[in-house]
Order: sequence, then structure tokens, then C-alpha cells
Amino acid sequence: MSNPHRPKLRPLGQPRAVTVRTDEHGDPVHVRLPGKTARRVEAVRERWRIDDEWWRETISREYWAVVLDDGRMLTLYRDLADGAWYAQRE
Amino acid sequence: MSGSRAKLQGVPTHQGRGWAQDSSASTEWLTTSASDTAWASGPGAGTAFLPAPPRPSTGSRQALCLWLPTFELRLELVRSPGLDSTSVALLSPGESTRRTIWQVSERAHEAGVRPGQLVSQAISLCTSLTLLEPDPAHYDAATDTMLEVLTELTPVLEPAGRGRVFLGMDGLGRLFGSPPEQVDRALRALFRVFPAPLVAATRAGMAPGKFGAWVAAAAARAGESVIVSEERLVPFLGRCPVNVLPVDALVVERLERLGIRTLGELARFPEPSLVAQFGEDGRNTLAWSTGRRIDSVRPWHRPRPIRASLEFSSPVGLVETLHGALDRLVERALSRPARRGRSVTGARLGAHLEGGGSWFVETVLRDPTSSRERIAAPLRAKMAAHPPPKAVETLLLELTHFGAPSAQTGLFDRKDESGREAGGHELAQGEVPPSLRDAVKELKLRLGHSPLYRVVEVDPWSRIPERRHALLSFDP
Repeated sequence: MSNPHRPKLRPLGQPRAVTVRTDEHGDPVHVRLPGKTARRVEAVRERWRIDDEWWRETISREYWAVVLDDGRMLTLYRDLADGAWYAQRE
Repeated sequence: MSGSRAKLQGVPTHQGRGWAQDSSASTEWLTTSASDTAWASGPGAGTAFLPAPPRPSTGSRQALCLWLPTFELRLELVRSPGLDSTSVALLSPGESTRRTIWQVSERAHEAGVRPGQLVSQAISLCTSLTLLEPDPAHYDAATDTMLEVLTELTPVLEPAGRGRVFLGMDGLGRLFGSPPEQVDRALRALFRVFPAPLVAATRAGMAPGKFGAWVAAAAARAGESVIVSEERLVPFLGRCPVNVLPVDALVVERLERLGIRTLGELARFPEPSLVAQFGEDGRNTLAWSTGRRIDSVRPWHRPRPIRASLEFSSPVGLVETLHGALDRLVERALSRPARRGRSVTGARLGAHLEGGGSWFVETVLRDPTSSRERIAAPLRAKMAAHPPPKAVETLLLELTHFGAPSAQTGLFDRKDESGREAGGHELAQGEVPPSLRDAVKELKLRLGHSPLYRVVEVDPWSRIPERRHALLSFDP
């Protein structure tokens, strides 16, 4: 039974679903965060891939660290299992 | 053509010297291809028509677009007038071993040389072709000069890549007179910084909104202007080809395949049909075609960069020497009074190269910083990836973007009277300052629980970001 007085851990950097438009190579070109205006991707700073935990529920993600047209930096990933896009604070 | 076409007063014509991109204008621009309209070519292009945030009070509805096609090549020919009557091509920037052609003069164009061709192809087509290395530092300096002189006309100025700028003209009628007089005034301002041939090649377009102004400028001949009034905007746009739309070339191609050649034909379609075919692009194209979407010219805010440079007594090719020089430049730039009170978020490193030409790399910093190492390290990495192609005569550093004065201090790092060192003694590891304990107590009384959390490491080296850290309720 869980103890209601026991301090709870809340994971940081949980991914948030975002709407992303991609170009013909599959790279993000526009990003819309929930409830915000779509922003253009000005530059891709880094790109990497994570494949992990194949022994249970496979995690397979392709990450993009991008700079948006308003100067903000954002880390995005595409879940390669279902194709959905997420923004994540690293 | 619906817009009025006026010869620019006092602007000498530039007959006999044409440019690859000019040919479209001389044969009426219905023949221009999507690539000729240069939406997607050149640095900064395509940035002008982004969805603007809904702030109706900012910006200027009446827009003047000044456009200098093949701006970079023209600057090179101003620098070396002897090349003016020869076949010249500017190489594309970059360090690839398979260099391509970026811009070509009309003579080279007549010989079959086209932008995008490999150097070997271009030379086989035109054996007398003169190839020029790009000098981005020179082009950027010319752009800055141009913007500076235009700022004296209007504070609402929005550059859209090199050689193209939008000026907000709302409310300038009383100051400068009628629209043709305003255009004339803008071009006369350019005479102060550019030689006559360069100004004579400038096309000007004035209309409500940036799209109308750009289309008008693209329709103008070199040295002329096209001015479109509010009431004539829709019929003017209606005659324009669909390739003027600032959308993906594939969208334009599909529109043409569907038999939609002009914006007038496009405007006859219902919005749902266009949205079904092209999504958001369909909605935007219709809004532009019907004159419903008027993009205001937004004032451009760019902090004045902090520059530092170092001239070597003899050209330097050694990476270690350049790294040492970079460190010294960063230190010098950071110590400038103009930098005080600001952190740095973007920097640019450039060089004047031995035998002419220039080179530069840019970086956007992950976090705002005032640390020499944090600014120099990414520039060194960029330099390693794209080294200067020749020995360096002068190394230049620009701090281009700035952030808040300093990073936020932690709640537990306070050194004031009520903070960590309260009572004149150092707190032991893990000990909570009395002031913080009191604050939590007060918050709990008010809210019923402690709203403070502590960040704890869970699996700091995990490859999955959400597994690294967590928040733990803080209740001392």
C-alpha cells in the first residue's frame, strides 16, 4: 500500500506532444507547441538518435536540437515507434 | 500592368549591363520561374513572410521593398570594375570539394553558365569565365551600411536577406510627399553609400503589405519602381503568376500542373478546396492572392554587435595560433564597456584571407554566458569543421546576440543577511537556512502544503532525458 505521506518523485523533462511539419527529408521545418503560434525552424544545431531498452519496451527516438525563428532553442524528438513528435527539456 | 510604373528621377539608367536575374524583368515577369523570384535563395530569404504574431499596433501597413538582385556579384564588380564587361561567376560559399556556381553575370549567362552548376561544367561552357571567391564579410558590411542609411528615412525597417529590404512607410507622406517621391527619397539615400551602377540596378515596389511590395519590386525593371495603391492591389495581384507566392516550389508546381497560372485564377477557388489540397499553404496563398492578408513591415531589432579584430604581421595558417588569437579576441570583446550588464548568446568569427576573400563561422550558444571558454569552445569546434580555406591575415570576432545580465542565482546560494550565511556562520551541508524554513512554514499555512520542490538526481547519466532528474517535495 502506498504511503500518502511519503514524498513523491515527479520526473523532470517529461516529453510534451507537439505538432511538427517536416520537409522532404523528414527534418522539422515548423513547430507548433500546444496553444502557441507555429514557429519556423531557423537552424538545426544537433541531431542524434537513441535506441535503448530493447530488452523490454524498446525506446527508439530521433532527436533534433533546433533554433526557432524567435531565437528560442528547443529539443524535439520523433518517436520512431509511432512517428509522433515531442518537445523535451534536456 | 495595373501598378503605375515610374522612372526613378535622378537615377541613371544602366543600359548594356545586365545580369542573369535581370533577364526575367526585361521580358516581363510572367516568364520568370520560381527560382528566379529568389524566395528561397540567399541568406535570410524566406524569413519575411512568417506568420506574424497578432500585434496589430506594431509595424507599418504601407511597405516599400527595395531589391537588388545578385547583390553579392554586383558588389564584387563594383570592387573590380575591370571585370564588368567579362564573363564572371561567383562561387557558392562553403568548403565542399565540388564547388558550385552561385551567381553569374549576363555574359556568362549568355554562354550557358547557370547558378548551381559545377565549376568544371561552367568552365567547359565558358572558357574565359572568371571565378570569384565569395567575401561574405564584405557583403554583410555593405548590407549593414545600406540598412544604416535607410534607418534615417524610417525607423520601421525589416531586412529580408542581403540585397532586399522592406521599409515601413506609414505616415511619411507629410514628410517626404507622394509615394513616388518617397521611393525617390529612399533611392537617393542609397546613392550616399553605393555607387550609381548599384543603385541603378535597384528595383523598388510600394504597396500595402510586404507581399504586395515584393511582387511590385519583382515586377519593376532595374532602376524603376512600381507603386500599387490600396484600391488597385487586388487587380494588380490578380495578373501576377503563381510563382511569386512565398511558398514551397512544389506547391507552385502543383498549382501550375492544375492549370492555375495566375493569382486571379487561384482567387476563384473556395478556401476549403485549397486547404484540402495544400493545407496551411493553401489558406495562405488564397489570403495573399485576394489581398486579404497584408503583412505589416515589422521593426527590426538588432543590438549593435561588439567587434574585436586582430591583424597578424604575416598570414597565419596554424590552427593553434588562430585558437590563441581567438581567446584573446573573446577576452577583449568581453571587456568592452558595451558588453557590461549583458551575457552573450551568439557570436561570429570571421577572417580576411591572404590574397582576398573572407571566411566566417557562427554559433548560437546553448546558454547565455560571459565566460571566455564557453564562447570560444563552440567557435573552435566550428573552425575545426569548416577551417579557413587560406591563411588568415586578420581575425575578427563579433558578439552578435545578447542575453540577460547573468544567470539566475540559486535559492540556497544567497549571501545576504537573511540567507545562507545568516547569523555569521556557514551552514552545514544539507542544513536549511532559517529564513527558508520560515518561508516554507508560511506557505504551508496559506496553501495547506509546501509548494517547493528540490531537484534530485535519479539517473543522471541516463540516455533518456526524463529519467535523469526528478522533483522531490521540499518540506524541511
